[in-house]
Amino acid sequence: MVGKNGNRPGVDGSRYAIHPDPLAGQLKGALLKDIARSVYVYRVDCGGCNGCEIEIFASITPLFDVERFGIKVVSSPRHADVLVYTGAMTRSMRIPALRAYHAAPEPKICVAYGACGSSGGIFHDLYCVWGGADKVVPVDVYIPGCPPTPGATIYGFAMALGLLGQKMKAVHHVQEDDERSQLRYPELPSRLMVEIERESRRMAGYLHGKKIAHSFLDILVAHQTDGPGKIDQEIQTYLSQQDDPRLTEIFNRLQQIYQAERK
Amino acid sequence: MLKLLKEVLKVGEATLPYPFAPMEMMPGFRGKPVHDPELCIACAACAIACPPNALSMVTDLDQGYQSWHLFVGRCIYCARCEEVCPTGAITLSPNFELAVMNKDDLREQADYQLAACRECGVFFAPVKEIERMLALLQQSGVSAENVATARALFEVCPECKRKNDIPKLASLYQEAV
Repeated sequence: MVGKNGNRPGVDGSRYAIHPDPLAGQLKGALLKDIARSVYVYRVDCGGCNGCEIEIFASITPLFDVERFGIKVVSSPRHADVLVYTGAMTRSMRIPALRAYHAAPEPKICVAYGACGSSGGIFHDLYCVWGGADKVVPVDVYIPGCPPTPGATIYGFAMALGLLGQKMKAVHHVQEDDERSQLRYPELPSRLMVEIERESRRMAGYLHGKKIAHSFLDILVAHQTDGPGKIDQEIQTYLSQQDDPRLTEIFNRLQQIYQAERK
Repeated sequence: MLKLLKEVLKVGEATLPYPFAPMEMMPGFRGKPVHDPELCIACAACAIACPPNALSMVTDLDQGYQSWHLFVGRCIYCARCEEVCPTGAITLSPNFELAVMNKDDLREQADYQLAACRECGVFFAPVKEIERMLALLQQSGVSAENVATARALFEVCPECKRKNDIPKLASLYQEAV
């Protein structure tokens, strides 16, 4: 029998050893009520890089303190209400993952944690990787992130416990016939734009160079009609707000290019 | 004991109020990639740069469309897509609240039309990509009639361009001999 997802293995796919009991599903609501302020979490590392573990431990530190919601990390799946699967689910960890699942008492909540736990992450196409906790156990909540920040961890747990709602939803955009990609600075000469972007990228690297060039050009465009004095003044205000000598250095160079181009 | 209490009061509360108050993220924090489908030209630079293949393109030459897919569940927030995007259509937002119950809610898709070759009618490049190239030419000071000539060249697929070039090259070769 093939699951309703076709060949894609999923929770309902009977290619895997777990057949979730429909009764246990109904009990999950009761479980959430019973464990409202006392949630025992067991962490199963299925071949991760330990980044996720570090963030889980960061979220039980006093700064983020998930223990104020009664969330406690326990050392045996037999005590657990929630199982957290981290890691890309390697071939050799699939059996221990199943054993942890079967050891935890019903009803239980499974959380796929991190990009690897949700889908295999950057390791998704490795030969020894099953690609996500949901290939082996039925997952209730996915917490993506590489690794998820403690904030994302708290949010994910609050969602698993039914305290907060989901914010993400699937998006599907279809191009309109007259849809066009607008240029960012149609009023600027392209030579100036290219030279500024090139110099900025040379000095600050590709990504940050682009960002710095854009913040420079934004000021130029916003005050183009106000004259060169006003532009210099605006740039000085921006630089004093940012208070970064590296940025000042780059902006000075960009200003030189702009002035040479203006002549 | 009193001394300790004094110390505690002086230090105050270290725990962040999240989730009861919004969490303030550091500037430069890389969260969910936000895609502006209007700006995107479906050039696939992001799909090539994406290390974990969270971004991918699917080309359908029969129906004439190219679709852009993002699967946030696989994203590692490296901002390579933002780095390579020529139009600035992808930026990494500070949004970290990405947990979902249903995995399909982590998916985003955008479909773009492909342009058919003027000569052979085969779909070969996204319409928006060609239009943006022409807009850039116009911005760099090329006259309107030259842009129209360029359009006639741009809307021909590479295969037909090659075929058109062969007679020219042949005549050049004969002249050289």
